[in-house]
Amino acid sequence: MASQPAASKCTIEQQRIGEIDVLSVAGVVDMLTAPRLGEAITAAGKDSPRGVIVDLSAVDFLASAGMGILIAARDELPASVQFAVVADGPATSRPLKLVGVADIVGLHATLDAALAALTA
Amino acid sequence: MSRFGKPCTGTRFAQIDAVANPQNAARIRREFADWLARQFTLDATKASDVVLAVNEAMANAAEYAYVTAEQPGAMHVVADYDRNAATLTVTVTDEGAWRHANPATTELRRGRGIPLMKALTDSAVVDSSPAGTRVCLEWNGINAARARA
Repeated sequence: MASQPAASKCTIEQQRIGEIDVLSVAGVVDMLTAPRLGEAITAAGKDSPRGVIVDLSAVDFLASAGMGILIAARDELPASVQFAVVADGPATSRPLKLVGVADIVGLHATLDAALAALTA
Repeated sequence: MSRFGKPCTGTRFAQIDAVANPQNAARIRREFADWLARQFTLDATKASDVVLAVNEAMANAAEYAYVTAEQPGAMHVVADYDRNAATLTVTVTDEGAWRHANPATTELRRGRGIPLMKALTDSAVVDSSPAGTRVCLEWNGINAARARA
């Protein structure tokens, strides 16, 4: 990690809401930053939450590398952990829908809607 | 590290001989997005589509073109705008051979770049030969920004 340049800015903040781990992602999710998102999802899954929500509301660029990580990390979660993604906008929900990733990962337009779906 | 092409002037954007790696793909993506915003009046969806499609073409070059080479070779990104036809064409070329590092274990996270490019463009053509790969992306109905300095 020492030589990682500040080429793409991405921050990931984790908070627990009830039994759900919410990862709030901001900035760019591309080839450079997607692996960190994958690691964060995997780490969150180890807290034995009821679910993990990846909130991409503050993401302004999402590449296919990031979409692949969402699918792979979701598949690696324990079966007991539910998963959902929050995104709404031309840079995020649009490409997720265009290549069918939205149907696979469980896409919601708002965090409230994702929380409601996972705690229902 | 990398040699850069001519500065971007008028309705052409060019980055020639950039090393095909993820860092350069990210840098060129940002420069291209800035150029796009200056040159055209695009709505948020179109602007986002164009930048993402160009990113995916560069990502393929950075990820696959030089898998079997000792170090990554070059990629070239050229965008041309035809004012009369209102067409924006972006070509991303490399001199490698797209090879998937390990398709068996990575299929879940890969393979969406080309479908995405096709969905985001009016035309996306991937031309592979032993000499390299050329991705040609095209959008119609692109309007140039009115105000010129």
